Amino acid sequence: MPKPMIQVKDLTKRYGDKTVVDAISFDVQKGEIFGILGPNGAGKTTTLEMLETMRPIDNGQAKLNGINIAKEPQKIKALIGVQPQTPNFEEKTKLTELINFLASCYGEKVDAVSLLKRVNLEEKANSYPENLSGGQKQRFSIATALVHNPKVFFLDEPTTGLDPQARRNLWGLVKEVRDSGITVLMTTHYMDEAELLCDRVAIMDEGKIIALDSPKKLIKDLLKRGFSKQQHVEQANLEDVFIDLTGKALRE
Amino acid sequence: MSDLKRTFLPVTTYVPIDIKRLFRDKVAIFFVFIFPLIFLLIFGSIFGGDSSVSFRVAIFNQSQSEIASNLVSQMRDTGLFNIDEGLTDEVAAREKMSRGQLDAAIIVPSEFGSTQKDNATPSGEVKILYDQGNESGGQTLASIMDSMMESVNSQFVNISVPFTVKTESTATAGLSRFDYTFSGILGFTLLSLGIFGPTSVFPRMKQKGVLRRYEATTLKVWQFFLGNVLSNAFIGLLALVLMFVSAVVVFKLNMRGSYINLAIIVAVGTVLMYGIGLAIGGWAKNENQAAPISQLVVLPMMFLSGVFFPVFLMPEVLQNITRFIPLTPIIDSIRLIITENASLLDLGPQLAVIGGWIVIIYILAFKLFRWE
Repeated sequence: MPKPMIQVKDLTKRYGDKTVVDAISFDVQKGEIFGILGPNGAGKTTTLEMLETMRPIDNGQAKLNGINIAKEPQKIKALIGVQPQTPNFEEKTKLTELINFLASCYGEKVDAVSLLKRVNLEEKANSYPENLSGGQKQRFSIATALVHNPKVFFLDEPTTGLDPQARRNLWGLVKEVRDSGITVLMTTHYMDEAELLCDRVAIMDEGKIIALDSPKKLIKDLLKRGFSKQQHVEQANLEDVFIDLTGKALRE
Repeated sequence: MSDLKRTFLPVTTYVPIDIKRLFRDKVAIFFVFIFPLIFLLIFGSIFGGDSSVSFRVAIFNQSQSEIASNLVSQMRDTGLFNIDEGLTDEVAAREKMSRGQLDAAIIVPSEFGSTQKDNATPSGEVKILYDQGNESGGQTLASIMDSMMESVNSQFVNISVPFTVKTESTATAGLSRFDYTFSGILGFTLLSLGIFGPTSVFPRMKQKGVLRRYEATTLKVWQFFLGNVLSNAFIGLLALVLMFVSAVVVFKLNMRGSYINLAIIVAVGTVLMYGIGLAIGGWAKNENQAAPISQLVVLPMMFLSGVFFPVFLMPEVLQNITRFIPLTPIIDSIRLIITENASLLDLGPQLAVIGGWIVIIYILAFKLFRWE
């Protein structure tokens, strides 16, 4: 088995007396989409931020591409792309200018328009970020995270607040990113999203990882334990109806 | 790309974007370019006029003599007096003085100018009434009247005065009061541009998570600082060029020094003032933290640096402190360049104080900076 892209061992974060992330350990393989699931306040975002070098690690160790995250944050930053929970950018600044500046932060020059094309925003090249819809902003944020060809892409609850069309579009983009060879680590509290998108998921609650496997395996295990849904499962749900009626095309 | 070019790429990319961004923001354009001009027009008109001192007086001429009426018309002609014609009696004048609406009442008594029995020449005594609270105004008025009396006296008694004072105002040498006021207005603009900008912009960017997005990249704090300092120095220079042109065109400013020296001082001054704003805005997590601190820094500078009050009027203790306040050497340098054609060498002491502050302020700004 090849060396994992991310190795996390006993990772811990405390705020005062409260242990927000409690000695969690997991590996993320190269080229997979790894999801961290859990209710609000489970410690997902804090975990992500420690791996992004944005929060000090109180205890334990984390390596990315074999590099110690706590010890060499500048090297790590050059290897990762980051999508914050609510992406915001400086106002009155064209999308191409923002991409050029973010690329320059890594010492890179890029073709901003072709990056925008990749996330289907080329006609918005001269728009300002404050005039984008929620879905467009998320897609733009993905483009800005990829300016320096990172090895790992972190996404924090990327589809919160998006309509079904925009969510589907974003899932497609994340898959494309994975298919281009970039390892993806994302958090979500939508199970359908995790089931559809993630190769493996870790379920977190109260700072601890309580399950870690592929979505299929986790479901199979649950059924093995004799679980059955009380309600009869239909072949379609309301979202299927909605998408069937309104189509998959993006609305923005 | 060379390593050096790569290191400065964030700076060279940021500066033009940041400048363009300002010109897309109508509110920012108003505060950076228009507001200082309005400020200049208002303060320039207030301080720019030539009649610098004017006393509000009431004149009661109770004498019928020709000398008395000559004296009164002479007083009207000096332009020093703003005569309250509505007042007719002393009681009303006293009443107005007590309310601070009148500086003094000048009474020319009925016997003024009449010839006393033993004397060949006429004589008289003018009475000046002033409020106790306006001691200095009364004294000044008395000496003005004294000198007027002297010219009246010389018509009757031919005496040669061996020792005299000849006063010559600098205005005769081509400098108007505006030339002095202007450097204070420029200094005030530098102060407000440098401090109010970053102390509102940075906390807002932090609250929206914009700066945190930059923190996630390999961008270094000094690169971000340098980009902002350069774009703001450019914008500051542009704003001041606009003010300068208006000052020359509208108020006939006499520029005696070198424009290059002035540009250097303005650029250095912007860097210092922006550094103060950067330290506060870079430290503050939100606008609630930034606003009181920036007021705390701006107000003393505004009142102690000679923007509104001349430094030489302050008590000596205060003057000594004032000299070391960051804005004072900037205003002094601008004033000395404009009015005395001072060279950068002449401005050595001022530049030393400015340089010292730049070092202190930027070390502080680096230490205090937070991305969120």
